[in-house]
Order: sequence, then C-alpha cells, then structure tokens
Amino acid sequence: MPDEFGGGPENSALSELLDLSMPADTEAMAAVVDAISEALARREVPEQKRLEVALAVQEALANAVVHGCDNDPSKQVRCRVRSDAHGRILIIVTDPGPGFSPDLLSDPKRRENLYADHGRGVYLIRQLMDEVHFEHSGNEVRMWKY
Amino acid sequence: MDISVRKRSQVQLIQLRGQLRLGQAVDELRRTIDEALGEKDTRFVINLAEVSMIDSSGIGLLVRCLASTKQRGGSLKLVKPSSFAVKTLRLVGVLNLFEVFDDDDAAVESFA
Repeated sequence: MPDEFGGGPENSALSELLDLSMPADTEAMAAVVDAISEALARREVPEQKRLEVALAVQEALANAVVHGCDNDPSKQVRCRVRSDAHGRILIIVTDPGPGFSPDLLSDPKRRENLYADHGRGVYLIRQLMDEVHFEHSGNEVRMWKY
Repeated sequence: MDISVRKRSQVQLIQLRGQLRLGQAVDELRRTIDEALGEKDTRFVINLAEVSMIDSSGIGLLVRCLASTKQRGGSLKLVKPSSFAVKTLRLVGVLNLFEVFDDDDAAVESFA
C-alpha cells in the first residue's frame, strides 16, 4: 500500500526533517537548498549524496519558480523533506502552477540539443535521484534518494 | 558567487568562487561574458576550482558562450572543475564539448 507520500518505498515510516515555503524568487532558492544540505549533514549523509540531492532540489525549485510560478514572488513554492529508518530521503516540491507533462521533454543529450541554453533540469533530476514521480498534473515532484 | 576577471595574453581569465546557479550568479557571469564579447574578446578561460555546484542554468550559459566564442573564432576553456562539476557536465553530455585544463597557465597557453 503506498505511504502518505506515495510513489516510493512502501511500508516505511517517514520522519519529517523540514517543511519549508519560499516566495517564487530565484534569489530565495539558495536558502532552501542550503537548509536541506545542512539538515542532511547533521544526519551524517555522505557529501556526494548531499551534493546530488542539493542539485536535484535546486533544479526542482527552479522549475517551480520559473515555470510553475512565472517568477511571481507573490506565489509560494513548498519543499518538504522526509527520511525513513533506512536513511532514504524523500523530497517533495510543490508549486501552484498548472503543471506540465515531463514525457514531452526532449532529450538534452541529443546532438541538436547539446548547445541549448535550457532543457536539462528534469533530466538532471532523474539522473541524480533514484526515483522521481511527477504528481498532480506535474506541479508536484516527489524525489527519492536511497 | 564571486567573479574576478583578468586579461592575460589576449585571454579573458575568469575566476569563479561559489555556486554557479540560477539567479544572480548566472546573471552576473552572463553579463561579464557578454561585455567581453562586445569588446571583441573571443578567448575565455573559466577557473572552476572553487565552484562546488553548477546547475542546468549555469551549464546552459557555459555551452551558449562556448558556441558564441567558437562562432567568432575563439573558445571557452575550463580549469579544474570539481569532481561533482565534472560529473554534472558528463551527465548531461556536454563535458566533451569543452577543453579542460589543470591550471590557468596551461589553458591560456593553449590559445597560442
């Protein structure tokens, strides 16, 4: 049976590490990413894993701010961080936007896309995290790091 | 993000310190490079030794500037990216687009 947050390891109790909200402003993202990195460091998560989670969060927040909120700082982006007894980390980023279809994104590694100045964020999230689900029409991303 | 720029042997040597990510950091680096391109500079070396993270916005800027310099007969070369920056560039398939050097001197001299 899926747990409260769905789409991840089942039958595992999750403890809340952080529940943060930020205005949809690119300059507000660093504080959230840094707070998550510090919380993981306190739990002695290895540096490489912290870096990978931090970059995935950075990309998810960027998508939420730029695409989900149209860079409108009156809108809010929410970021929740949970951990289970095995040290697996669940991060949920939610924005108030209409969502998107991640399956329609083009492959940034295709030759014609290599010099593009955008279009790598979701690809990076999928490469850096172990499990990624887009929910509620795509305006919520749930990312697991094992 | 701290950005310092020097010019050596007709090469713009840009030293970055911090995280190259969406927002002020990427905006400032874009402005720095665009101003130099406007002054007809086409040879760039970016030292990434003290950059712990590059996000997709930073990657997009680096590849766009690489393309711009190459179109003008120059290039943009990287010095000492961290292991995580190398991993990130490799993950999105752009690491091999760049020449990467161990120190500033070697990168600058490679333009000779």
